[in-house]
Amino acid sequence: MAPVQGKGKKTGRVRFVPCLLVSTLGIGVCAAGLPAVPDAVHGPGDVKTGYESADYETRSVSLQSRKGLPADLMRLLKSPPRGLPAVPVPRDNPVTGPKIQLGRKLYYDRRLSFNETMSCAMCHIPEQGFTNNELKTAVGIEGRTVRRNAPTIYNVAYFSNLFHDGRETRLEHQVWQPMLAPNEMANPSIGYVIEKLGRLPDYKGLFEAAFDGRGPGIETVGMAIASYERTIISGNSPFDRWRFGGDEKAIGEAAKRGFRLFTGKANCVVCHTADDRQALLTDDAFHNTGLGWEDSVGGGPAEYPVQLAPGVVVRVPSATVESFGEPPPSDLGRYEVTQNPADRWRYKTPSLRNVALTSPYMHNGVFGSLRDVVEFYNKGGIPNPLLDPEIRPLGLTRGEMGDIVSFLESLTGDNIETLVRDAFAAPVGDRH
Amino acid sequence: MMTFRQKLFLVGIAAVTALLTLAPLSGWCDETSMPPDMMPKIFGQEDFIYVWTLGEEGLGDGQDKLVTVDVNPKSPKYGTVVYSVSVGGRNEAHHAGFTHDRHYIWAAGLDTSKIFIFDIRTDPARPRLVGAITDFVAKSGGVVGPHTVMPVGDRMIITGLSNNRDHGGRTGLVEYTADGKYVATYWMPTDDDLQDAVKTGKYADGYGYDVRMLQRLDFMITSSFAGWSNYMMDFGKLLKDEEAMKRFGNTVVVWRMSDRKPLKIFDVPGSPLEIRCALKPEHDYCFTATALTSKFWLVYRDKTGAWQAREVSAIGDPAKVPLPVAFSISSDDKLIWVTTFADGKVRAFNVSDPFHPVQVYEKQIGSQVNMVSSSWDGKRIYFTSSLLSKWDKKGKDNEQFIKGYTWDGKELKERFAIDFTREKLGRPHEMKFGAYSLYKK
Repeated sequence: MAPVQGKGKKTGRVRFVPCLLVSTLGIGVCAAGLPAVPDAVHGPGDVKTGYESADYETRSVSLQSRKGLPADLMRLLKSPPRGLPAVPVPRDNPVTGPKIQLGRKLYYDRRLSFNETMSCAMCHIPEQGFTNNELKTAVGIEGRTVRRNAPTIYNVAYFSNLFHDGRETRLEHQVWQPMLAPNEMANPSIGYVIEKLGRLPDYKGLFEAAFDGRGPGIETVGMAIASYERTIISGNSPFDRWRFGGDEKAIGEAAKRGFRLFTGKANCVVCHTADDRQALLTDDAFHNTGLGWEDSVGGGPAEYPVQLAPGVVVRVPSATVESFGEPPPSDLGRYEVTQNPADRWRYKTPSLRNVALTSPYMHNGVFGSLRDVVEFYNKGGIPNPLLDPEIRPLGLTRGEMGDIVSFLESLTGDNIETLVRDAFAAPVGDRH
Repeated sequence: MMTFRQKLFLVGIAAVTALLTLAPLSGWCDETSMPPDMMPKIFGQEDFIYVWTLGEEGLGDGQDKLVTVDVNPKSPKYGTVVYSVSVGGRNEAHHAGFTHDRHYIWAAGLDTSKIFIFDIRTDPARPRLVGAITDFVAKSGGVVGPHTVMPVGDRMIITGLSNNRDHGGRTGLVEYTADGKYVATYWMPTDDDLQDAVKTGKYADGYGYDVRMLQRLDFMITSSFAGWSNYMMDFGKLLKDEEAMKRFGNTVVVWRMSDRKPLKIFDVPGSPLEIRCALKPEHDYCFTATALTSKFWLVYRDKTGAWQAREVSAIGDPAKVPLPVAFSISSDDKLIWVTTFADGKVRAFNVSDPFHPVQVYEKQIGSQVNMVSSSWDGKRIYFTSSLLSKWDKKGKDNEQFIKGYTWDGKELKERFAIDFTREKLGRPHEMKFGAYSLYKK
């Protein structure tokens, strides 16, 4: 959809009309709670929808339109939106306002990486579903390769298996891994980070205020960032309002049919769990879909389609592509944590909440659309000796797959703008 | 004790005095890869090439460095490295620019966004690191990846490639004073804020890369590449990432130079990188080359005085994606040397008719080649090998060199080559010329 332009001329300031206004005027409707036209909150402002076509037109949004508005995150934590259970909070780290504020500041601080270029938010970008819509797999410090797709932070408070392989079980511990990983933020040691924070004038007194006089430390840094992340919860989606609120008009008939398929013929619910009162839409467990197996053992394509410009694609031989790249890093999934051969190429089931916001999909970001994902499962994944027995050809029609996509698009929470605008209000920490 | 800025100021006053004396001798043009009428130039033999070199992990000291190569054939050290200054860390050394008096080089890092300042006047053979701008991102309001550094009088215009919010391609131009003081940020026009510029086609992506000016026409022009996530990513990984491959620039923006105001946005699909403007005062045009789609584009003034953009030639076989990454225009505006990274070749185009470039020569330089720089008289052509740390080829094709050639109008003949890997220096990128003659009274 083209932007609404002033006075019919291709010049001057172009004004994007927000979803609500458009809907009110009856000009368009907002699918999946998304705006009918681009804005700074719902997706990358560098909009590339339709880039495959020669007819592509930019609908870029300026960085200056990322306007912040602080939210009451504590209230959100105490009263989770419809469809979500109470937020589990560890006894040794009760969430407080000062901890949230400190954690938020740390989360957006690029100085927390060794060369001061990476923050948590450079891979978990607020307006991009707290993941990165622009990359299949993440890129770390000095451009170093990260093997997997950056998982979303939305609703991470509910999970006890963290990372795609579940190698951490508490957010307080998890936050240190990227900060120390040589291919992510690459700090040389825990002490290096702590001492650096102790020297930064804009952190003076913040830790002490949040932790009863305790300064930066291995525990307090983890506890602060974990406290902020626990507040990034999002529910009360159109699906929730229909399923748990009884609002029959909250979603359309296609989404309702999709949910019936989801829980019936397609049996997605066996891994993306839901009950009668709430739905996290994940079993927080590990499964082999065949994608990891194919990356590790498969032969790979003979050539790759490479897009050079809108509507311009060339096919490049694999040997040429490989000559420019490092050998792909090994990835054995859950096995890397358990050393159990049966866990090879198993990866954690992600929650489907806000899934319309978190492309590309799967642990390796191989699918760019929800339709691609549904088609993959409809074919029964990729056969391999360790394929999860629940994954099998589904026999869905094209219409049924469309219905499931409609259902998935109904899972976007109603507080996205609140959380993203709150994130925009946080200072981006740079050397100054 | 004087601060760095105070020292720069004092040296600057002395420099301006010297420069006024020098002007009739040295003119106000730089070598061919630089725009005219903006700084002293070397008409004759250059003595040195300063090579802004990326540190390579595990090689030598692993740091970025400015390397001085002796390129005067009369020197006993001709074709050798005579000095290097390491700056600390790997910053993704990329481009560099002189201050208007040519006393300092500002050398930028695309990764850390630091800008290192070297005094090249005091001892042209031994540049001295006299300061660094380390707060570029904070000062600019979030611009990441300083690229081209271009003097405009006592100001420095610096193009950005990315931003500190998403490491994508939306970015801006940043202006500093020549003594290192931040002045302003000019964001590239986007669809929701065209800043009164005319979007002539379908694209207004907000991306940036190179900048050039024609002062006599109050004209400035910028091109567009990609954000941090793409230019820092392993190139093989990038080519397999369909989402990332959508995030390259497709625009050239024409600005009014005097107030840094964007006027027109042109569709130039396929990542237009380097810009070279014609050097003759009667020539009102600039070339750019698209890296991905392998085309020369001409941005020119039409008969009505309006700026237009037109594709004028292919470079090599675009279907094979040769990746034209740098080019140099001769001082008479008749010849362009263009390097293509993927096939390691240089091609010469006759551009006497800028609307119809014709390839007239081709030569293999190495397994990969990046920058090309020509002397003012066009007799000496220099090449370096490194494009970006994560884009350079791997294995035996990862040759890292500077090579010097002479051109007799018919043939390029290699005169020296320095293996930067064997010398444990790193990946050579940008070249800047130096000469004692610039500073003689």
